[in-house]
Amino acid sequence: MKGSYSQAEESELAKASIEGDKLAFGEIVQRYRRMVARTVKGMLGDSVFSEDIGQEVFIKLYNSLADFRGEAKLSTYIQKIAINLTLNEIKRRKRFFSTFSQKGNNEMYEYEVPDYESEEKRDASELVNKALARLDPKFRIIVAIRMLQGYSKKETDEILDLPIGTVLSRLSRAQEQLKIILEKL
Amino acid sequence: MKPSELKKLIIGSLDENADPQLAAKRLEEEGVSFDFSKGFIDKVIDRVASGADSVNREIEFSRSMRIAFNRIAITGVAAIVLLLISIFIGEGSFSLNSFLGLGDTYDEGIICLLTGN
Repeated sequence: MKGSYSQAEESELAKASIEGDKLAFGEIVQRYRRMVARTVKGMLGDSVFSEDIGQEVFIKLYNSLADFRGEAKLSTYIQKIAINLTLNEIKRRKRFFSTFSQKGNNEMYEYEVPDYESEEKRDASELVNKALARLDPKFRIIVAIRMLQGYSKKETDEILDLPIGTVLSRLSRAQEQLKIILEKL
Repeated sequence: MKPSELKKLIIGSLDENADPQLAAKRLEEEGVSFDFSKGFIDKVIDRVASGADSVNREIEFSRSMRIAFNRIAITGVAAIVLLLISIFIGEGSFSLNSFLGLGDTYDEGIICLLTGN
């Protein structure tokens, strides 16, 4: 086992993790933790479920690292796992709420604004969370990827496996919906 | 940043020609950041380690089951062969009656046996 992997390349980390090196895998989790949080929490909100989904993303990654051929970036591979697991959770919640509740999409997005050193930052975080909570879940994914992660159009269509035309159309519709939501906030 | 400016930034980040990285960076600077709770990495590593343990336990269990099944199967086959040999020796054939132990009985004989007449 190596002492530190902080300077290691992705491929080296993946190889060491496959061989069972927990330290190398810990470095992968450390590097991509926030990226996964932005996707999962951007789509599900800040709740205990998001933490669980976040953990599952990395566990699934660990179990499927042997299948990772290195053709795409590791971050894209992780991002895809995060999106798939979060979409599954959204579907599960939709089924649950459609059976047991008459309320809308808001129930699927919970959030808790953390303590910030300034009131302004707190307000900004609250505004974004409120907007995401009101946004249709099918648009949240594109907003999470584009607005929170900063992915380009090409990267977005690669991650979502969608044609560029569909990505652009969804972006435009998400933007329209966000405009209406933000006017009321 | 004023709320109106922030709203503009949010909406603008979804523009087709906007630089999404710049918008994401500015939002983060404004306090829009997401992260998991403290100890997240340790929890993941613990779950990965316990998952590996449980997989090892499952493999060990299925191996033991296979060994046990093989032993039972071999013993069972041997018992069946012995039974067939004993039936053949005792009854002289493998007919249904010999399997049921009814080799030398007639219907009337059974009635006599059951009624005692």
